[in-house]
This record gives sequence, C-alpha cells and structure tokens, in this order.
Amino acid sequence: MKGLTSLFLGIFGTFAFSWVGLTVIPNWQIGHLNPQSDEEGTDIYPQPQSGMVERGARVYAANGCIYCHSQQVRADYAANDIERGWGNRRSAPRDYIFDRPVLLGKMRMGQDIANIGARAPKEQESPPPGGAPAPAVSPAQPSAASGAAAPPATRAAAASPATSPAPQKSASPAPAAPTTSPSPAPQGGAVSSPPPAASPNLSEAPWPMQTAGFPPMYSAAWHHVHLYSPRSINLDSNMPSYRFLYRNRRISDARSADALQLTGSDAPPEGWEVVPTVDAKCLVAYLMALNQSHPLNEVKSVGGAPAPPAPAGGSPAPSSSAPKK
Amino acid sequence: MNATGIPLKEPAISAAAGDMEQLERAYIDASTRVPVLIFYTSAMAWLVLGTLLAGFVSFRLHSPDLLSDISFLTWGRVRPAHMNVMVYGWASMAGIGTAIWLMARLCRTVLRYPLLLVAGACFWNLGVLLGIGGIFLGDSTGYEWLEFPRYAAIILFVAYTLVLSWAVLMFRYRRGEQIYITQWYLLGAFLWFPWLYAAGQLMLFVVPVQGVLQSAVGWWYGNNLLFLWFGAIGLGTAYYMIPKVIGRPVYSYHLAAIGFWTYALFSSWTGMQRLVDGPFPAWMITASIAATILTMIPVATVGLNHHMTMQGYFPLMRYSPTLRFTVFGAMAYTVFSVIGVLISFRSVARYVSFTQASIAYSHLGLYAFFTMVIFGSMYYIVPRLVGREWRYASLIKLHFWASAYGIGLMTLMLLAGGFLQGADMQNPAMVFSESVQTALPYLRGRSLSGILLAVSHFIFAYHFGLMLLGLGRTSTVPTFLNPVEAETSGGH
Repeated sequence: MKGLTSLFLGIFGTFAFSWVGLTVIPNWQIGHLNPQSDEEGTDIYPQPQSGMVERGARVYAANGCIYCHSQQVRADYAANDIERGWGNRRSAPRDYIFDRPVLLGKMRMGQDIANIGARAPKEQESPPPGGAPAPAVSPAQPSAASGAAAPPATRAAAASPATSPAPQKSASPAPAAPTTSPSPAPQGGAVSSPPPAASPNLSEAPWPMQTAGFPPMYSAAWHHVHLYSPRSINLDSNMPSYRFLYRNRRISDARSADALQLTGSDAPPEGWEVVPTVDAKCLVAYLMALNQSHPLNEVKSVGGAPAPPAPAGGSPAPSSSAPKK
Repeated sequence: MNATGIPLKEPAISAAAGDMEQLERAYIDASTRVPVLIFYTSAMAWLVLGTLLAGFVSFRLHSPDLLSDISFLTWGRVRPAHMNVMVYGWASMAGIGTAIWLMARLCRTVLRYPLLLVAGACFWNLGVLLGIGGIFLGDSTGYEWLEFPRYAAIILFVAYTLVLSWAVLMFRYRRGEQIYITQWYLLGAFLWFPWLYAAGQLMLFVVPVQGVLQSAVGWWYGNNLLFLWFGAIGLGTAYYMIPKVIGRPVYSYHLAAIGFWTYALFSSWTGMQRLVDGPFPAWMITASIAATILTMIPVATVGLNHHMTMQGYFPLMRYSPTLRFTVFGAMAYTVFSVIGVLISFRSVARYVSFTQASIAYSHLGLYAFFTMVIFGSMYYIVPRLVGREWRYASLIKLHFWASAYGIGLMTLMLLAGGFLQGADMQNPAMVFSESVQTALPYLRGRSLSGILLAVSHFIFAYHFGLMLLGLGRTSTVPTFLNPVEAETSGGH
C-alpha cells in the first residue's frame, strides 16, 4: 500500500511541478502587464480595440487563418523577419495584452501579419474613397484611377506598373497575373522593404508584386479583393478564397461605396456588384488594426515604422538599414 | 507453446481448459465486452471521418480552389475539424477502450459499473460531435487542440469524469498487491488528463490569462496532451502487449520505474520549445528545450527495456499482428522523441519552427507511435471480445504496410519540405512566397501518403466491421500474418 501512495503522490507531484513552472510562474511574471505610456500619460500603447476589431478577431479564429499566418516578429539576431519588412522590432508580450484570443500562430504558409495594418498606405486606413471604384474596374488606367484618390497612398500602385518588365501585361485586363517577373531579381537581400514606393530603388518589389488595377497594397480595399480572390493578386498564392464572406447583389441605383474593385474573371456581371458582409468588414478592420510599430521600452526598434513613413520623398531606409549593421 | 514460441491463444470460455487463470481471464474479457466495443466502434467511425477530412485538408493545401465557396468547408475550418476528430474522436476513444480492457485485466477483476462507461462513451461522442459541428459553423476558439467551443468542452469533461470515476472504482476492486508498470502509466494518464484539460479550459476561457500567456498555456496543454495522455496510454499498452505476446516478462522493472518517473517529470515540462524566439521570457523556452533533451533518459530506458525484452524474439513479428504493430509503435516513439530533440535546438528551431516540420512531429507522435500501438492492441483485444478471430491475414498485412509506408512517407515529406521551406524563409535573398512554393511539391507527396493511410484505415474499418458482425473465423488459433506451421522447420 505504501507503493500506491507514493505512486499517486508522484503522479500529482510531477504534474503540479510542470503546471506551476510553466503556467503559474509565467503568469506571475508577465501575466499582469500594463500598457506603456510616456511621462505625461499620453501616447498609450497598446490600447483596447474597437468592437468591430474584436469581432474580426473571432472571424479570423473561426476561419482558421491562424493555421497559415503567424503574428509574431522574431528578433533580428534570430531570423530575418524584420529584414523581410514584417516589423521594425521583435514582438514583445506587451503587444498582446488586450488580445483575446491571442493568435500568435505556428505556421507560415502565408507571411507573418503582425504588422499588416502598419504596412497599409497611410491615408487608406479608412474604407476606399467612394470615387475610386468606378475607374478602377477598368484596369487599363491604374495610375489615373489612383491618382484621383489620395496621392501618397497610391504610390505603390503607381510605382509598380512602371517597374514592371512587361507593361503591356499589366495593362491587359486579363486576371492580372502578377507575373513572377524575374526582373525585380531578389538580389542583395533587401527584398522586402515594406514601404513599397518609399524605397527609391524601385526594382526591389515587395511580395506580392503590385499589379495594375488593384487598390494600393494592404489597404482595406486591397484586403477585400485579396480575400475574395487571392489568385487575382498573386497567381502563386495558395490561400483559399473567402467568397462566402461576400455577397453578390444587383446594383440598385449607384454602386455602393464598399463594392469590391474586381477585374477579369472575378468581376461580377454587368449590373451586379460584390459587397462585403459584416464579418468581412470586421475581419478587414481587424487586419488593419494589426500594428506593432509603436516603440516599446523593453525592445529595440530597428529603423522607422514598418509602414510607409508618412512624408513623401521616401525615407530610404527603414528596414534596409537593418541588414547593413 | 508451439515450435515458433508464439503462445497460442487460450480457448474461449471452456471449463475443459481446467486452468483457473484462463477461465478467469475469459470472464474478465467477457465483462469488458460492451463498453470496450462501444469505445472502439465509435473510435473507428471517427477514424474514417477524420481520414476523409484529412484528405480534404491535404489536397486543399495545394489546390486551394476546391469547394472553397462553401463556408463550412473552408480550409481553416476543415483542418481543425480533422485534427480534433483524430485527437478526441479517434485517438482518445480508442485509447480509452484499450485502457479499460487493460485496467480490467490488470486489476484481475470483472468490470464493474459498465453503465458509467457506456454513459461516458455516449457523452464523449456527443461532445466530439457538437465540437466538430461548432468548428464547422464557425465557433472555433482559435487555440490549437482546444478549438472545441465551450459547450462541447463541458460535455467532454463530463464524459471524462464518468470514465475517471470508473477507473478509480475499478482500482479499488483490484486483486493482488502488485501494480504492474502498465497500470502506472494508465493511472497517470487517467489522473493527468482531467487536470490538464481543466487547467487548459480554465486558463484560456473561464479566467483567461493575459496576452501571450494564452499561447503558452495552449502549447503547454497540447504538448502535455501528446505526452501525458496519449504517450502514457501508448507506452503503458506497449509494456503490456510486448511481454504478453512473446510470453516473457519485462526485462527490467528498475528500468521501467526510472523510465516512468523521468518521463512524467521531463516530458511534462516540454512544449515551450515550440515557441522559440517568440514573445516570451527566454527562460520558459530554455527550460522546455532542456526538458526535451532530458526526455532522452526515458526514451533510452524505455527503448532499452523493450529491446531487451524482445531480444531473440524479433522474428515473431513475422507472425503476430499485435507484436508487429506494437513494436513499430514503440520504435516510432524513439524516432519521435529524437526528432523532437533535434528540432528543439534553437539553431534548428529557427529554421523549422514555422514550417511543415512541426506537422511531421505531431503526426509522428500521434500516428506512428500512438495509433500504431493502439492498432496493435485492437488486434489483440477485439478477438477476445467477440469470440472470433480476424478473418483475413492478408487484410492485416495490407493494413500494416499501408500504414507504415503511409506514415513513413508523410513524415519524410513533411520534414524535408519543412526544412527546405524554413531554409528559404531564413534566406533573405528569397522572396517569401518562394518558400511556400518550395514546400508545395512535398505537400503533394504528403497527399500521396494520405491516400495510403486512407486505404489502410478503410481496410481496417472493414475488417473491424466483419468482426463486429460476428463474421470472424471461429478458431482457437489466432490469425497469424504468415502460416506458422510452414515455418516451423526453419527453427528459431
């Protein structure tokens, strides 16, 4: 009978040891972090998110985005996440204190999106301007279309047709193949630099390559098109399409402002439009809110923000400075 | 004992056998019949469903447009559905089935309170069904291995409590002073699981911990589920089946004790190594890496123990299906652990931590090790429950080879694809999407291996169905993989 008691004690003891060691102590150590703020108590980071963003996180979880996308940037000595432009510093526990569920992710069949919101063009964080959709449907004049919208935002769109090795291709209305063009040869390391057009060296096209006829990369409108038809933006993508988050409907009097700017075979028939459901809008709101670019005292930031830095003229080196040192 | 050294199965309940011990065993086996078969049958149904879902998931990863317009068939829902069907539907239910039978045998008492188990099985099925339904309808929680929405988790917990209370009651009725190693593992599994499950649920959903700790708790849960629940049942089963089939005691009781305690101590501390370089205090990850390396101690002792027990008896794997599956599983446990150590080193983990290699790792543990051991135990147990022998030796062989080649191919494909994908990802000169392109051919190879596994599972399900319908052979000699008489002249 003595053996039995020690058996039970051992079974409980070993497990209690692990439970305390790996969950209770860490909880005591980093389980009660507060947002960081400066001396005046302003500039608080991180902040709780809106209800739309929270619902978007649930849509993200429910549809299993986490099985292909991580949301954690590793330090520059460990990996080249920062060099790829996925962030300007490593992620820290404090970045996630308001997240529930926390969707760190373990797999990168798609890129890391911890900063996908920060990488959006600055002026585009709200839904696309109402005027834009109409011209954008015809992919022939992307620069004209985007020129009409907020100028700084559209640099990405405008820039890549120019760099594209085959301009006639980007002008064709065909489902806008991104043409894994060999020309922006991924030489020299700095493939990623997230501010696509901010970098003066235009040959360093980011992934996925921006093609004509699409909203500026990582803008809300772009996310909708990408969710609806990933392969219209990047032919090689193996992301599933999320068409069930969108509705086809007949245009009543005017195209609605949030109708998707679709081209080629994805475009709905004449007189119809594709609009996002509430879930799709929340999901995109969530994606646009993913932003860890705010500096944190406990980690070293590299370069500037991962987003296209606001002023024009392209600060040349937010991320390309990283690998050099 | 015939010339090959395989102890022939004792005849079914027949007083003529004269042997009290055999009679007693037959009574015990008969008493476990209904509950164990309920668990096994449910598990088989989940296995078939999970296999179909797995095929869907695997093909969709390289052909993303297949049926993607239907919300509940979107990849991100089918994948967790597959995983949870396999983990909670197939592996847990089959594992509990085997554990029930082993408990009854080792406590040397007829099974009492079968209604507890029958109710447990019903609730368990209901929980898995609701959970899968919830995932398909978009209720997934977003934590890996804990995707079931809360209403399903509660039912699962109730089901589990019924099974646990049965196990505790049975243990009190046991006869004989000695507690065999298998019982240590089974008691451990039975007692660890509820704590683990409750801790996971409480710390994630009821009083959620803050921020990244949720991920830490999630991985702690997932890893411990793999080791302390499935691993413990698998090792316990192997400790019973191998000596039983070859009719020889375990080589060393001391080694077994060392193996058990180091296993409980070290493997429960692993898990955080999967979060390497993530936003966590470094000591957590380092502690888990150290623990992972230390798991080599139980691996070595358990492996050595099994090997020394089997010494000189390996040729029996030619005949006994149970032995063949179990030894394969026991060897896979070693491979699984060694690979686990290799991919936990920081320098390696940097390459593989966001790639398909981690899928290879969990399949090695859950399939190559655990599922194969459980298959083996089912080949041993089911004939004793239905009073018939397996009908076709050829189907068993086909099942084994399709499973073995299938899981071997899958592991190779995912490991190779994962390493190459990781190398590309760490190469700053490569555009990110190229790393995905690199992995795709290997994912197609994985789909191929999935076909093999599907074949093996359908064969087994068919064979199991025949047994269930009483269509097995009536014979006093178990079904051997190869005819024993023809080989006797060979002499071992």
